[in-house]
Amino acid sequence: MIKVEDLHFNYDEHEETIKGVNFTVEAGSYTSIIGHNGSGKSTIAKLLIGLLEKSSGSIEIDGMELNEENLYAIRSLIGVVFQNPDNQFIGSTVADDIAFGLENKQVPQENMQAIIDKFSKVVGMYDFLDREPTSLSGGQKQRVAIAGVLAMDLKVIILDEAASMLDPRGKKEIHELINKLHEEENLTVISITHDMEEVLRSDKVIVLEHGHVKMSGTPAEILQHEDELVALELDIPFVYKVQKELKEIGIEMDTQVSIEGVVEQLCQLHSKI
Amino acid sequence: MSITFKNLSHIYNEKTPFPSAALKNINLEIADGSFTAIIGETGSGKSTLVQHLNALLLPTDGEVRVNDFVIKAGEKIKDLKQLRRQVGLVFQFPEYQLFEETIETDVAFGPKNFGIEEKEAKERARYVLELVGLDASYLERSPFDLSGGQKRRVAIAGILAFDPDVLVLDEPTAGLDPQGAKEMMDLFKKLNTDFGKTIIMVTHDMEHVLNYCDEVILLKKGEVELVSDVKNFFKDSTIDSLDVQPPHIVEFKRQLEARGFAFDEDAFDLPTLVQSLKGEFDHE
Repeated sequence: MIKVEDLHFNYDEHEETIKGVNFTVEAGSYTSIIGHNGSGKSTIAKLLIGLLEKSSGSIEIDGMELNEENLYAIRSLIGVVFQNPDNQFIGSTVADDIAFGLENKQVPQENMQAIIDKFSKVVGMYDFLDREPTSLSGGQKQRVAIAGVLAMDLKVIILDEAASMLDPRGKKEIHELINKLHEEENLTVISITHDMEEVLRSDKVIVLEHGHVKMSGTPAEILQHEDELVALELDIPFVYKVQKELKEIGIEMDTQVSIEGVVEQLCQLHSKI
Repeated sequence: MSITFKNLSHIYNEKTPFPSAALKNINLEIADGSFTAIIGETGSGKSTLVQHLNALLLPTDGEVRVNDFVIKAGEKIKDLKQLRRQVGLVFQFPEYQLFEETIETDVAFGPKNFGIEEKEAKERARYVLELVGLDASYLERSPFDLSGGQKRRVAIAGILAFDPDVLVLDEPTAGLDPQGAKEMMDLFKKLNTDFGKTIIMVTHDMEHVLNYCDEVILLKKGEVELVSDVKNFFKDSTIDSLDVQPPHIVEFKRQLEARGFAFDEDAFDLPTLVQSLKGEFDHE
């Protein structure tokens, strides 16, 4: 779906922000991009949707090279939801906000209401179509932003820490919605995140450091390099810390990605003694 | 010296057709030198409550006492400036409030505003910036060239610069990466234990509550739902009904207990739990 090769980018002439990045994203997959602040995560998101222009290398999306000529075609495939819910609400009501992208795309007026209805229902905001942004919670605003992206009939959604400013309930709302869209609608998800629980649910993880890919692979593969992750100031998920401590006292089990899994294994091992 | 709320109520837009009661009859006591977490859902009144502590909001009814200051509904506060010097309030996303050309002048603004001489204000700026982990090379830089996490440190330094006894933090780690959040929390713990500051923190992060705080106040729909010390709070199974996401370690312990494993009820750290498990496995 997405192929990035030897991608370079610099904001100013002194220092390169992205220094030769390569990765691929399969259609229908869930990819997490992690890395400490300043590693280039958000810059990559902006490069992927053509908000920033690369200095060299190539970005291919659905077989199309990202360039000036294909920019609009590509933006009809890939969209982004940013971190701050207050900075991306453009309309005066929920319906207006979802309509904004559709108007830009010159969707005929008579088709618009049906699309707005459909996607506001998908994100659970149908009952709020006439509401103004000031009367919505952060989680609700982010759901509207997601509806706006989905209404464009996209294949790929990039979440740039889209849940990080929300309270626990808002975070949960967004995670559940994205998981549902990923599983039921086969939406390709690229999530820039610090949430290691989310990372564990991904198909693929890309770890960035100072503008290059430090490593990539499945969550289990990445977490085998625990020392490197710690050196990069990344969080080790609790469930891995538990398994490491257990291993040190001689309790070994097949790698588990959930607390429930560890508890189950412990019970089984215990009943065998 | 402590902080007390007595029959405190706050109604937004009172005397308009759309009044809304944000706080209802709050009675609380917060001990001097404690590290207290204020938790509850969005809209439960957490931010409204803490903004009474330096009289940014005034009670519609009842009173707040902070040390010798009394903030009472309908009464003028004596020496408001002195109160605000004793209670430093750090808002959500404080980095949006930086405004000076250099970090040094931004941090020195608070103390100067409280009448401290320019020279001393600058010395204080230097000292507190060091405390939040920014060395002297930052002094002449613009606060707007910093990363989000660094900007937030500058904003917090601006409050520490006038040396308040009470530090009130409204979601201080929201939006920070895990490492940045940890450094921030370690700083607050240090201010609490080494400098004796009373810390009152609004948060949604139960891992922080467990690992850093002594006391928990849970608000629900503008009322105090529960006051507890931290360990009892996580021990108590009533939190299951409170719409609180427990820390991973608590979740792990509970699930094992439900399957028949037994632990010391005060143990909430991984090494202790794992050692108890070792006992269970060796014992057999």
